[in-house]
Amino acid sequence: MYHTSVITRFYVHNFRCLQNFELPIAGKPSALLIGNNGSGKTTVSLALEILQRIARGTNRVGDLVKSKDFFLGRTDAPMRFEIEVELDAVELNVGALGIAPPRTYAYDIAFEFPEGFKELRVFEEKLTVDGKPVFTRERAQVHLAKTGQEKEAKFLIDWHLAALPIIQQQSPQDPLFIFKQWLARMLILRPIPSLILGDSKEETLEPNPQVTNFGAWFSGLLAYAPSAYTRIDEYLKQVMPDLKGITNPFVGTDSRRLVLQFSNRQGSVSLPFEDLADGEKCFMTCALVLAANEAYGPLACFWDEPDNYLALSEVGHFVLALRTAFQSAGQFIATSHNPEAISRFSDETTLFLYRKSHLEPTIVRPLGDLQVNGDLIDALVRGDVEP
Amino acid sequence: MSVNDDLPHVLILPEDDANRQLANEFHQWVPWHRQRQMQVLRVARGWNKVLKLFESVHVAEMRRCGYRLMVLLIDFDGSEERLVEAKATIPVDLADRVFILGAWSEPEALRQAKLGSYETIGKAMAEDCREGTDTIWGHDLLKHNASELDRLREQVRPILFLPN
Repeated sequence: MYHTSVITRFYVHNFRCLQNFELPIAGKPSALLIGNNGSGKTTVSLALEILQRIARGTNRVGDLVKSKDFFLGRTDAPMRFEIEVELDAVELNVGALGIAPPRTYAYDIAFEFPEGFKELRVFEEKLTVDGKPVFTRERAQVHLAKTGQEKEAKFLIDWHLAALPIIQQQSPQDPLFIFKQWLARMLILRPIPSLILGDSKEETLEPNPQVTNFGAWFSGLLAYAPSAYTRIDEYLKQVMPDLKGITNPFVGTDSRRLVLQFSNRQGSVSLPFEDLADGEKCFMTCALVLAANEAYGPLACFWDEPDNYLALSEVGHFVLALRTAFQSAGQFIATSHNPEAISRFSDETTLFLYRKSHLEPTIVRPLGDLQVNGDLIDALVRGDVEP
Repeated sequence: MSVNDDLPHVLILPEDDANRQLANEFHQWVPWHRQRQMQVLRVARGWNKVLKLFESVHVAEMRRCGYRLMVLLIDFDGSEERLVEAKATIPVDLADRVFILGAWSEPEALRQAKLGSYETIGKAMAEDCREGTDTIWGHDLLKHNASELDRLREQVRPILFLPN
């Protein structure tokens, strides 16, 4: 079976510790990034997040990147972000197109910081599908390619704005729409359970990295695909066997609050979502990731340290559930320092990030290419893993 | 909770990192709603340490938990005596719940024999277990497991792969 919706290329240049950096994840349904503190694991997710924020509508360059984000302050060269992904149109629910072959979408954006400027501006930007441009742009000049009945067009745009969120898409079949929706729905997660309360006033399919809009995501997911509740329920009952159900009733006129019911032979109890333990909130987040990938995926999911807050006995199962869910569609990328999480990946799916000092950029190597003597965890504890 | 002690479950005790990777990839192809009935334990670092660990920790735990099956994943290092030696450490009352499997030499040889990556091999092992076939288990480097595998399939397949 062809594995759709995978990032085939992710390249970053001159952004924080990422200099001429390419993440080798092509063809990998799941991957683990390991490495010392400061090696650049989280920075990879921050770079992805910049692209995601563009797709979600943040277009002011100053809101995306700052001059301090240049590697070692090197403003003499552009800062670049390039992503290439294979998407199958049918699996993105874009209508009855039949079985369409996957298409390769590539989006590049580069920023520069000319002398005398107060904020960065767009240097170059382009979106291509199977190598054909949808639009290209150099500084303020945007060139829309000819598509179907539409003629090609050229226009000027404020060079402090990214063009991707601004260009009008024609229909849900428009490659611009398909790509932008995929990128916007990418899950980049660094949950902070104490900030996740379970209240919502709206619905969304786009959780923020801290998942503080969990309630809105839950509401949005079930509004989009009510059958997703079955997946959520099945997963949660495996990790919390006394769970009976979840309700999301209105409180007041326009907001909802998640409540979980638990019961066993001794009785039953209802708990507001906010009263769950931190690890249990992570179970809930995991359940939504699994259900979201089935309901409106295939998705790419980058989870920074998914083992945080979990009991040691749960870490392996948690990571395995995520890896399995993305095995046939979508892509799961995690970072970790946790031996249990690390041991759930093979050398072939583990990438080692390394940085010699704060003055040098991040280097990434597949673990299988490195010489590791003895047990990997022991070698990591000793600090003996080096590219 | 990790594996559920009240349900039949399988613990895998791998000798080394290569065996751990094979077990992990196998685990990934177990249907998701059965995955918690299997647990891959930390590597023991040597086949003799697998046996020592089994004797010192797992014998008592298996007697405590009647639903537990264990797979000791070791390298045979080309020794025909290895299975006999390993079996001698298993108490009679647990013999039908413990299985000893492994590559004839070591897992790296499976990769060198062009059976693919550990991911591919682990997946193929799981498929064989699910379907009752010998596509990969029939390979020269694995066929010595036949008798243990027959027992394993009889007991483990219903736990991990067959509908209730």
